[in-house]
Amino acid sequence: MSIVDNPFFVLGLSPDASRIEIEREAQKLLGMLELAFEGAQSYDTPLGPQPRTAEAVRAAVAALRDPYRRLIAELWVRNAPPIRRTAPPAAHRAPVLTGLRRALGWRP
Amino acid sequence: MYALPYVILMRVHQAAITARRRSRSWHYLAWSAVAGVLASLMIALGASIVLLLWGVGLWWFSIPMAGFMILPVIASPLARHLFVPLGWHRVGYYAGLLSRPGDDAPAYGLCVAAWAFAHRPSPAAEAWIARRRDARKPLGDGEVVVTALVAAGRGDADTARPLLRSVAMLIEDHPAVRELAGEWLATDAAERGAWSELASDALAARWPATPLTYFLEGVACCRIGSAGAPSPSELRARWLLAPYRGTTRGLLEVPVVAAPPPAPTEAVALAPDAGSLEPAPVDGGPLPRAVAAHLAFRSHDPSANRLAATVRAWDAALADGATHGWLARRALELDAPLGAVDRALREVTAAITDELAHAAERARLGAPASQGPVGDGLARRLRHGRLDALETGFTRWSQRRHDGEAHAAIDEWREFIALQAAYDVAVEAGGTELRRLAFPHAFSTGSNMAAWLWNARNEYALSHAISKWLLAEALAVGDTEAIELGHRNCGLHVPHRLGKPG
Repeated sequence: MSIVDNPFFVLGLSPDASRIEIEREAQKLLGMLELAFEGAQSYDTPLGPQPRTAEAVRAAVAALRDPYRRLIAELWVRNAPPIRRTAPPAAHRAPVLTGLRRALGWRP
Repeated sequence: MYALPYVILMRVHQAAITARRRSRSWHYLAWSAVAGVLASLMIALGASIVLLLWGVGLWWFSIPMAGFMILPVIASPLARHLFVPLGWHRVGYYAGLLSRPGDDAPAYGLCVAAWAFAHRPSPAAEAWIARRRDARKPLGDGEVVVTALVAAGRGDADTARPLLRSVAMLIEDHPAVRELAGEWLATDAAERGAWSELASDALAARWPATPLTYFLEGVACCRIGSAGAPSPSELRARWLLAPYRGTTRGLLEVPVVAAPPPAPTEAVALAPDAGSLEPAPVDGGPLPRAVAAHLAFRSHDPSANRLAATVRAWDAALADGATHGWLARRALELDAPLGAVDRALREVTAAITDELAHAAERARLGAPASQGPVGDGLARRLRHGRLDALETGFTRWSQRRHDGEAHAAIDEWREFIALQAAYDVAVEAGGTELRRLAFPHAFSTGSNMAAWLWNARNEYALSHAISKWLLAEALAVGDTEAIELGHRNCGLHVPHRLGKPG
């Protein structure tokens, strides 16, 4: 369990959420996923949006029902930087001159 | 009457080419100009003799004279601009032979054939080249370059690249063959945008440079602003000298960048890499800082600095009393089972170490010096994993000697350079400590293999290259016995096709 698959991010809840709030949110998300609501298809994390599936929602609820696993989830999520609503920019790489070798008489 | 001036021109032309190969300064341009003028004179003299013979009715004699006096001068450009692009591997081979590349012309001829094969690969051409290559024993630089160019022709540049680089280790040295190897590597580096790699080759003068290589090296030095970068006018002169000027014109217009920034100081090295999209410094204690460093490491290209910063941040966070206090309090609030705090710390440490170890393996990074649960675990895991992998590889290699499973010499060489690359990567990542641990096994198996290749397989150049590498490693770790044996092995005369004492 780390940041991107953290149950609190999967469910879109704060680490202070009660058990009832967790169960209610999970049921709501499962219903929205069943009806293919666009807003439920992904969740935000500090590393950018991630796809949300019904399996991930069920796994998140199961994790948060276990006090020990919830403790670890909270350890991460309470100390995480703010969530990011867009994908992080691609790392800068040296430009590649595709086809130069071929143009200079060498293949491939 | 005409033969003597021609022979003199030919000798001076070859001397100019040889002198050019040794230089990477303005002498290179001067020797190129001299070689060009001499080649023109040879063609003019040859053509006038051929016309004279034809004119006096000796047409039957003029044809072999053209073959002797004109063809060798134009064979190389013909091969590059006609036979190779057309994929005529056999014609390319004979053009290579005719171009007077120096001693052992078939080595160069085969390389030209493999170059032509790359333009029009076919199983028949590959079999033709492989048959001629395998008939040449023992293995030398020509055979390795041929294999690399054939691999490149099949689209396997990742195989071709290390094979061509490995040629520098072989004692047999065909300058014309190495020029081709250097040119392939230069165009490959330029295509990948690996300008630092190309500039490093230029500064170390690893390969004799063709005019195209020389120009690309100049572009690389300008791009990274390294010492010895040519001035704009010199770069233009190199461009004028090189072929494919239409294609390379765009490279001339590259802005010359300033000198590279100074090496990072210790203070900078501890922080994640500057210039990247790092989160702002995090307030709130060691744990938020560790999570932020971890996310920064995950979301960018791994680097030694980022890994070190992340590991140190985690070690500080996991040893911090506030982290333990918060876990204990929260475990009580959540009604977590007894021992949950210690178990949670162990689990988080294991998960972080696992993730960082995978990233370090992929990026070939060493374990940073950090005392703590993550730093110690990462160092142990990387060192053991790399040592085990190295020992398994070297053992498998030497096992073949006992099993009597003799591979083709080129396959033995490929296996050795793969092992050597793995060793170098492990040593680079693991530092001196890992080098000392890895060397004895590499030395014992490598020495046995070198002796077997020399005595039983007569692969002298290959064996010598292995011994030379082992000696360099012995010197690096200070193993006296290995140094003594290495000096003895490397001091042996190495028979090879060029006949010069090894």
